[in-house]
Amino acid sequence: MTDTSLADAEREEIEMLLPWYITGKLDAHDRARVEAYLAAHPEAARQLDLVRAERAEAVAGNEALGWPSPAATERIMGSLPAARPGLGALGMLRGGLQQLGGLFMAPATGAVRWAAVAAVLVLVVQTAVIATLISQRPGGSYQTASGAAGATGIALLVTFADDAKATAISQLLAEMDAVIVDGPKAGGVYKIRLRTEDRSQPAREALVRKLAERRDVVRAVLPSRD
Amino acid sequence: MSRAAQDAELIRRIAAGEEAALRALLAVHQTRVFRFVARLVGNEAVAEEVMSEVFLEVWRNAARFEGASAPGTWILSIAHNRAVSRLRKRREEAWNEDVAGSLQDEGDDPEVALQKADKGEVMRRCIDKLSADHKTVIDLVYYHELSVSEVSEVLKIPENTVKTRMFYARKKLSELLKANGIDRGWP
Repeated sequence: MTDTSLADAEREEIEMLLPWYITGKLDAHDRARVEAYLAAHPEAARQLDLVRAERAEAVAGNEALGWPSPAATERIMGSLPAARPGLGALGMLRGGLQQLGGLFMAPATGAVRWAAVAAVLVLVVQTAVIATLISQRPGGSYQTASGAAGATGIALLVTFADDAKATAISQLLAEMDAVIVDGPKAGGVYKIRLRTEDRSQPAREALVRKLAERRDVVRAVLPSRD
Repeated sequence: MSRAAQDAELIRRIAAGEEAALRALLAVHQTRVFRFVARLVGNEAVAEEVMSEVFLEVWRNAARFEGASAPGTWILSIAHNRAVSRLRKRREEAWNEDVAGSLQDEGDDPEVALQKADKGEVMRRCIDKLSADHKTVIDLVYYHELSVSEVSEVLKIPENTVKTRMFYARKKLSELLKANGIDRGWP
């Protein structure tokens, strides 16, 4: 390799490090390399100006975005019961079955045992019935409220109360002019789509509130991407 | 106690199911996550949805956080995965690098554009026009102030690739600036 190409390679290596030199995120070894190079090549200081200008505008571009809406935190906190640490949909079922198994082994009365069996069966039957609600639609698979060609209305993510009856879920969906379009996802989350012309943020929030009030059927509700 | 140590303690409490700890983590990190995702997906409403998914994933997986990296880096890594996944679903070509120079297409020739906007504004618009990969690495380095190894962890790419990606992002930015009337004399 010629002296020139060696010098070019060194310059390029140093140029690659400059962004982190400016942000103070180089380790001691690389920082020393950059400083030695800059001391030996004063003309390279101009590169630092370029990096500083890029950084200033990258920061400005990010800060121009503002902040998430004040309601964002509450929406996340409000959806936590559907996403308990370590419990996905399978985890919930597995947990229920483990509890059931434990009860069979424990010295419990017959009534308690059958109550446990019934509780797990409610979960299994509810999941099966919701799956039926999805699969009974034409085409046998998920579809949006307006058909495959374009998503209209508002999409929301919901989890249903453990003791919600299938008829109550079906009735609520009908009342809200909604259909299940996906699920269950992790945590027993279903995506539903509500038919509406008004897709504004206030309309979206109003629907979230309305569904959240139906504690007998809906355990948690969260906005979804369309 | 450092920020990373405080965050690690919050993650530990979240793993124990303490909602107040998640609320505290949100207060510290939600804006940076929101901005990071918004820059990637180009839509603030979608960014809020993705941000919700990110913190729900933190809630679910806090017990699996091993502390090998700073919690902030781990959270950004989740955010990057979620945002990229969302972009793939949308299949939009908003980040096509072929848009180089397309700023001119928005109306004025470079000279007129320069009269209207200062160099900083032109540079911000040029950064916006970079590919998703290039824009993301620039944001992670300049705005989020991550080290090479932290960017490597967020993007799941080798450290050398982080350096070269940043280098080529800066070169591409220079090309875009030149096409819009600002010659930086580099590269």
